[in-house]
Amino acid sequence: MDFKKDDDSDGLGALLKMDNSVLIQEARLFNETPIKPRQCRILLAKILYLLNRESNLSQRDATELFFGITKLFQNKDMSLRQMVYLAIKELSNISSDVIMATSSLMKDMQPKSDVIYRGDAIRALCKITDASMIPGIERFLKAAIVDRDSSTASAALVSSYHLYSSVKDTVRRWNNEIGEALSGKAISSNSSFFTSSSRTIVIPSSNIVQYHAAGLMYLIRQQDRMAVLKLVQNYSGSNKSGWLGSAGSSLKNNMALCMLVRYAVRVMEDDPNLVPQLHDLLKMWVAHRSDMVSLEAARAICNLKKANASQISIAVNALQKFLSSPKPTVRFAAIRTLNSLAVAYPEAVQPCNVDIEDLITDSNRSVATLAITTLLKTGNEASVDRLMEQIQEFMSEISDEFKIIVVEAVRSLGIQFPQKHAIFLNFLARILRDEGGYDLKQSVVSAIMDLSKHVPSCQEAALAHLCEFIEDCEFTKLSVRILHLLGEQGPDTPQPTIYIRHIYNRVILENAAVRAAAVNALAKFCASQKIDESLYSSIRVLLERCLDDRDDEVRDRAAWALSITNNKQARQTYIQDDSTFSLAALERKLVEYCADPEAIKTSAFSFDGVPRISRAEEKAQSQKQRNVISEVLSKPSQPSLGLKKKTSSNFGDTSPEAIGGFGPSQSEQQKELYAKQLSSIPEIAKLGAAPLFSSEPASLTEAGTEYDVACVKHVYESHIVYQFKCVNTISEQVLENVEIVMQSEEELDGQLDYELTIPVKKLVNDEPGYVYVVYSRPDQDIYPTTSFDCTLKFLVKECDPETYEPLEDDEGYEDEYSLEPTDLTEADYMQPSYIANAQNLWESFGTNGEAVETLSLTDFDTLEECVAKVVELLGMYPLEGALKTKNARAHQAIMTGAWMGKDQVIARARMTKQVKEIILELTIRSKDQDLSQQVLGAIA
Amino acid sequence: MELTLVGLQNSGKTTLVGVIASGKFTEDMIPTVGFNMRKVTKGNVIMKLWDIGGQPRFRSMWERYCRGVNAIVFVIDSADHKKFDQARAELRSLLEKPQLKDIPVLVLGNKNDLDNALDVDQLIDIMDLGLYTDREVACYSISAKNQTNIDKILRWLINHSKNKR
Repeated sequence: MDFKKDDDSDGLGALLKMDNSVLIQEARLFNETPIKPRQCRILLAKILYLLNRESNLSQRDATELFFGITKLFQNKDMSLRQMVYLAIKELSNISSDVIMATSSLMKDMQPKSDVIYRGDAIRALCKITDASMIPGIERFLKAAIVDRDSSTASAALVSSYHLYSSVKDTVRRWNNEIGEALSGKAISSNSSFFTSSSRTIVIPSSNIVQYHAAGLMYLIRQQDRMAVLKLVQNYSGSNKSGWLGSAGSSLKNNMALCMLVRYAVRVMEDDPNLVPQLHDLLKMWVAHRSDMVSLEAARAICNLKKANASQISIAVNALQKFLSSPKPTVRFAAIRTLNSLAVAYPEAVQPCNVDIEDLITDSNRSVATLAITTLLKTGNEASVDRLMEQIQEFMSEISDEFKIIVVEAVRSLGIQFPQKHAIFLNFLARILRDEGGYDLKQSVVSAIMDLSKHVPSCQEAALAHLCEFIEDCEFTKLSVRILHLLGEQGPDTPQPTIYIRHIYNRVILENAAVRAAAVNALAKFCASQKIDESLYSSIRVLLERCLDDRDDEVRDRAAWALSITNNKQARQTYIQDDSTFSLAALERKLVEYCADPEAIKTSAFSFDGVPRISRAEEKAQSQKQRNVISEVLSKPSQPSLGLKKKTSSNFGDTSPEAIGGFGPSQSEQQKELYAKQLSSIPEIAKLGAAPLFSSEPASLTEAGTEYDVACVKHVYESHIVYQFKCVNTISEQVLENVEIVMQSEEELDGQLDYELTIPVKKLVNDEPGYVYVVYSRPDQDIYPTTSFDCTLKFLVKECDPETYEPLEDDEGYEDEYSLEPTDLTEADYMQPSYIANAQNLWESFGTNGEAVETLSLTDFDTLEECVAKVVELLGMYPLEGALKTKNARAHQAIMTGAWMGKDQVIARARMTKQVKEIILELTIRSKDQDLSQQVLGAIA
Repeated sequence: MELTLVGLQNSGKTTLVGVIASGKFTEDMIPTVGFNMRKVTKGNVIMKLWDIGGQPRFRSMWERYCRGVNAIVFVIDSADHKKFDQARAELRSLLEKPQLKDIPVLVLGNKNDLDNALDVDQLIDIMDLGLYTDREVACYSISAKNQTNIDKILRWLINHSKNKR
């Protein structure tokens, strides 16, 4: 390698050879007098390099280095000073006693002349300081925030941003200073200076301070929607009325304006009532002269959940202009936004089609790919042929990643326009034949499989392409998948023999994993009732040959297949059985079994505890997961927010995905966890081994407040157990005897009786505690509904924020905190569970067990909102397609569930959209009419 | 030359450094968090003064900054009678460190402008300075406020600047 030459000098080679012990030796340099700035700088650079490459520096060594470095303070060499600050920042996490540098750093950050290192000193100071020291440096930081020098002000703002997490209240007090920095009054009009030892470079002011100030201001206010609104309005520059005389100033920094756009969007998402007000601002920003601000605002409008056509068209107009921008980044941003908009509103993007078509030949392939896929979404059936041709031309020029995007687009297009399946299939098959990595091939294979499922008429062609593919396929995983599909679908096709040839070729040519899969596929053919006797016996011959295979697994499978296909009943049980284990549950049980050495020794694994589900149910689940994923993919701008919401509802110590999907799989893991928690409490264990079912967690507090409380309702045969997860977010307080007092709004004597409360003894910062409140239902046939006002009651004591030990002399005081009310509704008695053959069940219940109600609703703008609300109120499981309206005027949704976890209930909601209202006809069917009526009561 | 100033908090170290550096007395009420370093030129001697915080949390770090200096300056508030025991113990434990062997020590009873301040002999007595026989120990009673005896200690310090270690 080239750098070997430099081994003996101070070059990179020498650096690579450095290690900690050499470094400590060399650090003696720091103690020499007089200080040698150049050598010290080189040594500091080495320290920084090592810290960034491998930070296994021990605390002792780091402390040693740190104290050595403190000897270098106050040197006249500016660069050395800056290196010292950098090194201190990096060492601050490892070394002890870094607080030692405080006084010296405070001296360095004082305003003297136009020295360049003040900002660096501020950053280092904030890094080494702790909460107890903040009062001492507060006044200097406040002064630095409004400093005339923008690098100093920025450093102070950014450092405050980092400090905020530990000293919220202090940073909040700096509101005025931050506001001053944000409005740009403090900044010198001329320039900021960057000197490097001898030269001075003058950079024109970028107003970057405003960007940093906006970020900090938002951080402080983010919990308070109205304060954020004020922030956005005050600095948007639109406020002509001159609120309080000071407002109406527009920010000069474009990045700061982009942040305002984002804050505005968050406010709109949180509170739909504020949308109209803020929308005008967004419109104004779309017209902003900066590309960046305009793009950001347009993107914000496109991502709004409730944007209407005229609003979107403003954004689309702006984006359309950007499509012909000379800057590739701007074109990319515009087409990317349009691309994601096209998923939800293809018709809104159509006006741009002409411009987008020009981009197909764009020299930037990323832009071209997005252009193509956008057109695929907006195009109508007639334009598909032409487009597919155009794609074909440039497919060879783009990378796998973009090919995957195109494949995904073609996949959804195929489902949209089933008549054109031949074109799509040929296109996909061609990609399959070309070179490509696993990810690409995988997506093509999935697309073909999907296509064959949705468009039955192309099944044979699809299988043929896949067969061709496995004849020369380097990816074992894909071969196995395709062989499985052939085993599933092959026997039902008119000519099963052609597939058998391909499958048997695998047995001769491929590796063990593929051979094993091929044997399984053959077994499927053999077990099928549809094949005739002669074929049956020839497949058995093939399987017999497999008995000589050199791999154990393949031989075993062949032997097994032969023995069970001999016998009709075994065929039924093993190969054609339509039920399967709930894989999540099976996996968990197996892990448990393996983790328990006693169990392995004493008994074999038992399948008794593993629930069985039907194939259809399993498919519905995996389909659902895929939809969630594809939704996230198709809306690239929102996943972060969505994700946040999901994790915030996290309850108990489970992973977020365990919570994410409700419905039949209300994750087995979660159930298990609840059962464990509940049965560990004797008073609750009495009620039954485990609850019939449990609700999703609902938060009873606003995010980011002092206490965080979420509630889960566990339904037992004759009891309801409220489980409150309480988190104390204040590190200086410990709460004792925490309980929750529930006050029912309705008089419920004899229907719902309060039994007991199980308080939490002690709640320290960030460690969740669980409070339980138990109610009983004396009459099994009455299902009371009410709303409870909830109050958190506790004894507060001050504590040491490090150890959480209460201060000795503190006797504490009683306090309470009101929570959001929690409702008990019909939905709480309903378990949202999936019913596979809902159609048949619906028929068999008949009109005897039916209850119907027709309502006229005015609260909803779209059918989608309406159906979501119905699902929520009923607490039932929406079957596939229930939530997605295909038609804006009329929609039908089917939901299923189990009342009290046992009685199956089916609901059908038919709705039509009139000019001002939505007409909803809701029909409930179950085994008897009373029950149906009860369920219907949820919609009142 | 390099000097390190140590001593209990509020004994007047930072103020003394200010007087030495600028000749002016300024009442600085902010306790030193960590250390301050100042370079002062007196005559043809450049003095590097390490002024270390006196709060308990910094006392364990005194030794690090005393290593290899030309002299250690230990400052005492000679009017704060309650703290003499503590000061004596801290001085003792500092000078017991093998790393600091043979470094000359200058003990200063500051604030002698106050009424109840001890004089030099009382200081030597109460600090047990007679016990340190294996190194050079000097003691002066000074006032940073009135600038009493500052010239004397500067002379003492400059005399020790040649002290090669």
